[in-house]
Amino acid sequence: MKRITSIVELYGIERTFGSGENKISILKGIDLSIDRGEFVALMGPSGSGKSTLLNILGCLDRPSRGTLRLFSRDISSVSEDELAEIRRLKLGFIFQSFNLIGRISVLKNVEMPMVLSGMPRDERRKRALDLLETLGMAHRIDFSPQSISGGERQRVAIARSLANDPEIIIADEPTGNLDTKNSLEVINILSDLNRGGKTIIMVTHNPETTKNCSRVIKLRDGRIMEGAS
Amino acid sequence: MKLDDMLEYVLGSLQADKRRSLMSSLGIIIGVVSIVAMLSVSEGLYSGVSERFSDMDVDLINVRPGTDMGPGGPGGPDDRPSSGPVDPAELSGKDVTLIENVVGVKEVYPLKSNRAKLSFRGDNASVSVIGVSPGNHNDLKDAIAKGRFLVGSDSTAAVLSYDLAVGYFRMDISPGNWITLYSEDKDRQLDLKVVGILKEDEDPSYGSDTGVYITHSAMEELLDVDGYSYSSIVVRAEDSSQVDPLAEEIDDDLARIHKDEGYSVEPTASRFESMLEVMNMIKYTLAAIGAISLIVGAIGISNVMTLTVRERIREIGIMKSIGATSREIKLLFLMDAGLLGLISSLVGIVLGSAVAGLVGSVAGLPSLVTVQSIMVGLSFGVLSTTIAGVYPASMAARLDPIEALRTE
Repeated sequence: MKRITSIVELYGIERTFGSGENKISILKGIDLSIDRGEFVALMGPSGSGKSTLLNILGCLDRPSRGTLRLFSRDISSVSEDELAEIRRLKLGFIFQSFNLIGRISVLKNVEMPMVLSGMPRDERRKRALDLLETLGMAHRIDFSPQSISGGERQRVAIARSLANDPEIIIADEPTGNLDTKNSLEVINILSDLNRGGKTIIMVTHNPETTKNCSRVIKLRDGRIMEGAS
Repeated sequence: MKLDDMLEYVLGSLQADKRRSLMSSLGIIIGVVSIVAMLSVSEGLYSGVSERFSDMDVDLINVRPGTDMGPGGPGGPDDRPSSGPVDPAELSGKDVTLIENVVGVKEVYPLKSNRAKLSFRGDNASVSVIGVSPGNHNDLKDAIAKGRFLVGSDSTAAVLSYDLAVGYFRMDISPGNWITLYSEDKDRQLDLKVVGILKEDEDPSYGSDTGVYITHSAMEELLDVDGYSYSSIVVRAEDSSQVDPLAEEIDDDLARIHKDEGYSVEPTASRFESMLEVMNMIKYTLAAIGAISLIVGAIGISNVMTLTVRERIREIGIMKSIGATSREIKLLFLMDAGLLGLISSLVGIVLGSAVAGLVGSVAGLPSLVTVQSIMVGLSFGVLSTTIAGVYPASMAARLDPIEALRTE
């Protein structure tokens, strides 16, 4: 049975915003399961609900209705602090606009998730340096994120997402702000990570970036059109 | 997130925006400066005054004619119904005898003091002349440094306080020297032979540090008045803890003789106490003014921090998305405010002490930076900024990470 290895399970997930007459339904009943080790692309036109779905998968948002199970655990009703802990330890985020903290160095940015998880100073420094080395950013550790290129920033962001060795990497249009060459590199890095065992869930609108994906889920109007399982 | 990491994060953010840190700390610095400076100056005043009064005898009761002493002294004129202005009582030997017979009275010093001009070998000075009854003054007898004290029959003898005898005139006055007193209102003059000098700093609290002590008969001669009456009767109690009830008893006894006349019976310490009370009031009023400026400073911090939260919305969103809890975000901003408060307070304490010293030397006021004023300044500074940080910190903690990340 494939179900047993699923680390993400969604049952009848709905997400509405506003109330009364202004109520807008973004997700209208999503059933989805993702297995450990998958590289899943979420695609769809803007307004289809792919970002909202990604936010729910990333524990940044809660569904209005339905059940979300992560790592075989129902997290529909866990506390804010528990959600923060899942984000901190089990998930790694990569954003379209990199979302690095501008006033601290590249190295400190990569260290930040480990600072939050309370890892000892020496240990987290070594790990951050290793990650940046692996991603070819060792020469930029003392730079400010504002003084490096977009492609470099995204590598730093990927290094940061790996800091606490998460099981799932959530990538929200990771190549959206990058040129073709850098986009390709980022996708290659993600593919390598996937081969290394990471589960990757990526929102994208560029079909070229999905060629290494194990599955492409297409959304339209808050429903999954194809690729649900 | 560990505490030292939080501290590092907060220090980093304080450093990253120095302009903001400086602007928000200015208000607190000013507030703490004013608290510390005002407390120090008033503390200096207070200790200066109390030091001056500390060698005052606490077992003395002052009986004076007139009602101008006002309320305050136990058994004072406020005990009697005030039926308009009354004539001041004339205090005489009868009163002295009456007081001497009150149980608990140790000694009674009838005094008459007046200003006069003293002339010694061509030098002149205005001094206070105190007429005394030599037989009563064991205190002065004990305080003689050179020569002897007056005796009842001395009509041309004087005892001088130390400060007047030594270093006051071009030549020091010693026992055996002659001095001349001129009454100020009448053109009377009196040649007196100095028979004794008091010890340094041994002037009685009813006297003066530049006083000339003579007998009442000599005083009568100098003033040439009809009906000699005392300007005050100083009573020494046997037990200094019984001064207040004793004063009341003396007051009651005197009331029988001086029915419609004004006089006051007041322990000397009570004037001192009411003076200290006033000093205390001044002190806390000044501190309150400082506290108000601190509140204004805290509101400033709250404003600046609210702006900071807005400026850092995206950073807060990032922190939350990578796993910071709302509590951690709140704590970070509270620490930001608290640390700013601590640094500003320390700067304020240093500047405030300097200001207190400056005020002290320029205005000639004594100033005293006490541990108390430093602690008050420090705790008010840190507390007010931390409280000021509560609202912006909660605001930051409540931010929705998705909304926050969307902010440009």
